[in-house]
Amino acid sequence: MSLLAVIEKELRMFFRYPLRVISVTLIGIVFLLQFVFFGEAVLGGRYSQILASSTGLGDYPTYALIGYILWWLFASPMEAYVWGVRRELQRGTLETNVLAPIRMIKFLIGLSLGWILIDNVLMGIVFIFGVIVFKIPVSFIIILKAVPILILSFIAFLGFGMIFAGLVMLFKHIGPLTQIFEFGVMFLSGVFFPTTVMPKTVQAIGNAIPLTHAIEAIRGIFIGKSYAELIPTIEILLVLTFFYWLISYALFKYAEKLTRVIGYGGY
Amino acid sequence: MYAIEAENLKKSYPKKIPLPFRKVEWVNAVNGISFKVKKGELFGLLGPNGAGKTTTIKILTTLLEPSGGDAKILGYDIRRDVREIRRRINLVAEGERTLYWRLSAYENLKYFARIYYVPKSVEKERIEELLKLVGLWERRNDLVMGFSRGMKQRLAIAKALINDPEVLFLDEPTLGLDVQSAIFVREFVRKLVDEHKKTVLLTTHYMAEAEELCDRIAIIDHGKIIALDTPEGLKRLVKDEDAVEIKVKDFNPEKLRDAPFALAIVKEDPTSNLTTLRGQIDEEDLPKVVEWLVKNNAKILSVEEKEPTLEDVFIKLTGRAIRD
Ligand SMILES: Nc1ncnc2c1ncn2[C@@H]1O[C@H](COP(=O)(O)OP(=O)(O)OP(=O)(O)O)[C@@H](O)[C@H]1O
Ligand SMILES: [Mg+2]
Repeated sequence: MSLLAVIEKELRMFFRYPLRVISVTLIGIVFLLQFVFFGEAVLGGRYSQILASSTGLGDYPTYALIGYILWWLFASPMEAYVWGVRRELQRGTLETNVLAPIRMIKFLIGLSLGWILIDNVLMGIVFIFGVIVFKIPVSFIIILKAVPILILSFIAFLGFGMIFAGLVMLFKHIGPLTQIFEFGVMFLSGVFFPTTVMPKTVQAIGNAIPLTHAIEAIRGIFIGKSYAELIPTIEILLVLTFFYWLISYALFKYAEKLTRVIGYGGY
Repeated sequence: MYAIEAENLKKSYPKKIPLPFRKVEWVNAVNGISFKVKKGELFGLLGPNGAGKTTTIKILTTLLEPSGGDAKILGYDIRRDVREIRRRINLVAEGERTLYWRLSAYENLKYFARIYYVPKSVEKERIEELLKLVGLWERRNDLVMGFSRGMKQRLAIAKALINDPEVLFLDEPTLGLDVQSAIFVREFVRKLVDEHKKTVLLTTHYMAEAEELCDRIAIIDHGKIIALDTPEGLKRLVKDEDAVEIKVKDFNPEKLRDAPFALAIVKEDPTSNLTTLRGQIDEEDLPKVVEWLVKNNAKILSVEEKEPTLEDVFIKLTGRAIRD
């Protein structure tokens, strides 16, 4: 119940300024259009033989839409944690919440779930827009097959994002840094182009990010791969999920302890 | 059992985030504070800016970990039993930004009721009762954004009663309020103790407020308690001597340092160059004091005898005045 209260509060305050829904959606669409058109211009059409031979998926709009939507799913917990805490600091209400018997981790998850919910609805709108405009060959079976992978990916992303919950409690002003990281991930995880064009070390870093494997799995489903063929990718995703939840939980506990030494004060 | 027991509490703040292997400097804020508050008592921490009042309150409310010493709230250890304490206490924090301005008064209380695990069966009733108690029932559906400072503070007090706390902490509850709102808050707090049997610890730097309101007062300066007693007991420290207040013009307060007697600056008005000084001076010594002031270029505007107040206690103990 207390978790729901936090989510409800966030949604309530968000919808006191409903115009933001439009701006976030529009920015999402513009971003997508720009990348797809850019890609098509360079490739000289929507189909690329090179892309097909290196990734198996040669239809560039499909390739880019999957990458982009998953990137959005990946970035949303990070954004939610970081800006959730920042907003509370700016409102001056963080300490009022810390003082209550609700557990800090529950409060933070509530804060971020409120935002993630809104964010993912907007993401859904952009996805449908992309499917229609670019005539993406998507079927019911593909969606059905993608859902379990999406859920697993999202759990991985939540754990990864929680690292930032710990960081923002300690360093408070990491908003810009988070954004830089999010955009860096676009390159590292092969959102709009295959990572194979990058140096080996960069690829190695990319492999430590759950998004890379989530994108690979979903693209696999779109080209008709079976679950059996995806097992290696899913295994890596599972390991990374476990790993990041462990790390982020430990970091969070440490941050919580240290914050009680420094004080929760923002400005 | 005491409601609050603090034993040699210490707190220093790091100048930088104390990450492992990082050398950081620490600044002392509280330097060994001990006191006990009985159940049903209204206890005041009185001290000037930066004395360590807020820090002490934050330690006692489990928002900060002390660097040293121990404290118990209702018998619970502030380091170990954080959640038990948080269920049983509440705080009206300093300043006005402690509630959600984009929620209505009602929505705020409902939200806090939920994260305080107030039973669903009493939630509605309690919110209504509290809003009526602080006179905001008519405005319950308005956003806090549009509230005056005084209304925000009243709502903050209602929020602080949402879990029916046994111990209530208030940090400078009348700071920045207009006279009427301040009176409301004081009377309300007194009623909480007298009628609702709550234990209250409040901080203030208004002498009159502490004197009028509190059963006992700890005067705190530079992170230490320098006196602790009932208001009457404290005033007994200065009772037999009279307080003198002298208004002067064009006086350089720096000169007070080499003065052969104890006078403190109560008020300074740089635009008109007026200074109000206060101290305890015997009648026989008064001419000498005046003479000294005149010699140091001060134009004497008035000399008045005053009833001793807590201000004089503070001046006597520290040589300085608590100033706004
Ligand atoms: N988060 C912090 N980090 C570093 N130093 C701090 C912090 N909070 C307070 N201090 C310092 O600790 C000392 C005590 O501050 P505190 O806020 O407890 O005083 P106070 O008595 O509440 O004063 P005021 O009347 O101004 O509210 C001050 O010197 C202050 O600068
Ligand atoms: Mg303070």
